[in-house]
Amino acid sequence: MDDQPLLGGALRTRLGRVDGPGGLAGLAGWEAARRLAAEVEGEPRIQRLQTATAFGVYEGLLLGVMQGRRLYRVRPRQLIVATGAFEHPLVFQGNDLPGVFLGTGLQRLITLDGVRPGRAAVVVTNADHGWAVAQDLLAVGVEVAAVAEARPELPPAAEALAAAGVKCFAGATIHDARGRRHVEGALLVRLDAGGDPVAGSERLIACDLIAVSTTPEPAGALLAQADGRLGYDPALDAVVPQALASSVHAAGAVTGLSDLGFALLGGRLAGLEAASALGLGGGEASRMATLRAEVEAHRARLRRGLRVRQLTSVPSVGRKRFVCLCEDVTEKDLADAVREGFDHLETLKRYTTVTMGPCQGKMCHLPAIGVTARLTGRGMAETGTTTARPPVQPVPLGVLAGPHHEPVRRTPLHARHAALGATWMDMGAWKRPLLYTSVEAEVRAVREAVGVIDVSTLGKLEVVGREAAAFLEWIHPGRVADLAVGRIRYRVMCDDAGIILDDGTTARLGEDRFFVTTGTGSLEAVGQWLEWWLAGTGRCVHVADVTSAYAAVNLAGPKCREVLARLTDLDLSPGAFPYMAVREALVGGVPALLLRIGFVGELGYEIHAPAEYGAWLWDLLLDAGREHVIRPFGVEAQRVLRLEKLHLIPGHDTDALSNPLEADMAWAVKLDKPDFIGRRLLEAARARGLRQRLVGFELLDGVVPGEGDAVVADGRPIGRVTSSKWSPTLGRGIGMAWIPPELAQEGVEIRIRSAGRLTRGRVVVRPFYDPDGARLKS
Amino acid sequence: MSFLVPCPHCGPRDVYEFRYGGEFQRRPPPTVSDQEWADYLYARRNVAGPAKEWWYHRQGCRRWFLAVRDTRTNAVLEAFWPEDKPEGAG
Ligand SMILES: [Zn+2]
Repeated sequence: MDDQPLLGGALRTRLGRVDGPGGLAGLAGWEAARRLAAEVEGEPRIQRLQTATAFGVYEGLLLGVMQGRRLYRVRPRQLIVATGAFEHPLVFQGNDLPGVFLGTGLQRLITLDGVRPGRAAVVVTNADHGWAVAQDLLAVGVEVAAVAEARPELPPAAEALAAAGVKCFAGATIHDARGRRHVEGALLVRLDAGGDPVAGSERLIACDLIAVSTTPEPAGALLAQADGRLGYDPALDAVVPQALASSVHAAGAVTGLSDLGFALLGGRLAGLEAASALGLGGGEASRMATLRAEVEAHRARLRRGLRVRQLTSVPSVGRKRFVCLCEDVTEKDLADAVREGFDHLETLKRYTTVTMGPCQGKMCHLPAIGVTARLTGRGMAETGTTTARPPVQPVPLGVLAGPHHEPVRRTPLHARHAALGATWMDMGAWKRPLLYTSVEAEVRAVREAVGVIDVSTLGKLEVVGREAAAFLEWIHPGRVADLAVGRIRYRVMCDDAGIILDDGTTARLGEDRFFVTTGTGSLEAVGQWLEWWLAGTGRCVHVADVTSAYAAVNLAGPKCREVLARLTDLDLSPGAFPYMAVREALVGGVPALLLRIGFVGELGYEIHAPAEYGAWLWDLLLDAGREHVIRPFGVEAQRVLRLEKLHLIPGHDTDALSNPLEADMAWAVKLDKPDFIGRRLLEAARARGLRQRLVGFELLDGVVPGEGDAVVADGRPIGRVTSSKWSPTLGRGIGMAWIPPELAQEGVEIRIRSAGRLTRGRVVVRPFYDPDGARLKS
Repeated sequence: MSFLVPCPHCGPRDVYEFRYGGEFQRRPPPTVSDQEWADYLYARRNVAGPAKEWWYHRQGCRRWFLAVRDTRTNAVLEAFWPEDKPEGAG
């Protein structure tokens, strides 16, 4: 992976001849780069990803790679990092003036973009590379007014320049850049042995370009993120990799040494080592050992030839001495921070934001260390380095934000609802009809005639196996094992702290076969909860999620039996198919499971049919109900209807502290059963007494309060509203609320603070509508 | 960004395919003291190092299994079905 459009790295930007190995010797840098790139491109077993930035290494050697708007997540088993090195700016007065460049930046302009970057340049350097930059400038017709070499002696490369008439100064550097809107000159100064400017040695050179070319600093962030250790090496005057994690290799200038021959040799070794670690060959041990020795010898030779002089800033004063050009952090800012006590590099970074800008420290890391070292009187190594966290390159959030789509679940009847002009609501990933016409009309249809609602989103689990009954008995506070085949029971489920997780129904289809329904949003959690308690137990129980296999509707209302009778031969008489019974039968020719239950409080049938026949069945039902003016009803009407019956919705009327005893469902908890999930704390809750109660209330005046509004007494909150609706059936506002147990008696007056006003209500503990369930059971 | 979890059924997969199920522990008999029951419900060891944990492969085989994960590095050292090591590995 290469962040550039073409392979070749920094070599692509070099005009000078390389003295590299064999066939490359004598070629211009960019020519050598082209030759090497062709070798890679001609190798079909190398897959290339170009203009692709590896921006971070994460846990388990996961590599984040960005290519345009595309994100690759790469998990290499072996990683070779050859990210090269950066130059860093020097800190001097005026170093933010237009016309001040890094040497490598100028080489890019010259070679890649064909730009002549200025007329007259001053090159400021402390490394051999600066002299190559000066050569490249000359080659494209830029006058080189002077080269200031900070090291005490001129390197051999200076001879050619001196011969071309370039003024070359040893032991000198830049004091400040002159110019108003652009560089107009450079004030050079001699340095004494301690690195301080020698008074009186200043020399002003006119120029419109200042090339700053410093010791290369390895781009080692990826190596550090891959658990490598980086540290300051005084022999190189750079922060270099000192130890690498296993399965990570480094080659080229990122190791701290910039030399083509060394890069090629080290690259070959890294490749062979990675291949051999992967069991893909790599050569015999003796050949590898020879190569390794060769690399080490080359490294030692290069190090012996190094002449460095640490240079990050020239002691001076001035307000325009920028350490961090991205964040406008000056040397003075760092000095102030150190004086205030932020003298540790990590705290200094956070206090001043040095290294925290878009370049993420690539430019200012070493200058920040250098300036801090001088300010605190500590050495470079002792000053340490900052932590190079990913990303090393700015990454647009859109690249990381994952799939650019939102998953949506539609029921098998979705198109029918759309055709009816339903208003939609989101329930988890599901789209459900909230409303078709008006709540009043839909509620009235169910109470007075017949309505039908799509309940395909209900969670549906089949629980089968020899031990299914015993397992369900143990996982529920209620009874399951004694449920007769063909019968249904309401179920509430708790965790071992006695807190309500979910509710629904359990229908026994056979001795060893149960059809369990869950709330729309809790299916996944309930399925996983059951599986978790089964994991590793070897119990003969199997849980299958059949939710999307079925379309389901609830046909409800006093006329629904007549409607259904037109579509099935099943005996629907109350004696043959009573309340809380389950039957399997053909409905409109479709094999269906019918559950006689009544969430909305009327005679009703929950009909589950294979999903592919859902729409067919829906059409048949609407057709069969035409005579009774059947109406589809949505979730809003359903919520009004269930509230009129005081049926709670877990997660809506209950929270992470609600147990079924306090939620007024003691009838669903059988504490005389032996151990079951939740028993111990439900037993304790009963012994301790109830701390709160979930009750119904009706409003005596005022507006319908909002869900979440406080129940108050003497100006203080004592409870809260969980559900509240206008009931068209009763002609008043109703709701449910948690209140202190001493108030939980029929007729007690409560006050609710709603929108800044107090509303009076009266506690109701029995369902508002059909409290004895006569209509349900009819 | 993420790490790999080696599902015993599906092989190594991205952690985002899984649901974390918490530290492995046994449900004590209902006769233990209140303190022990409270510990079972609420107290977690929260070790810095290898921890035995439940994982559920949501977007895969949909099965629960146990994994030993080094909580300092997120390296999953081993993963297995609970029935294969009834006493577990830690
Ligand atoms: Zn799996």
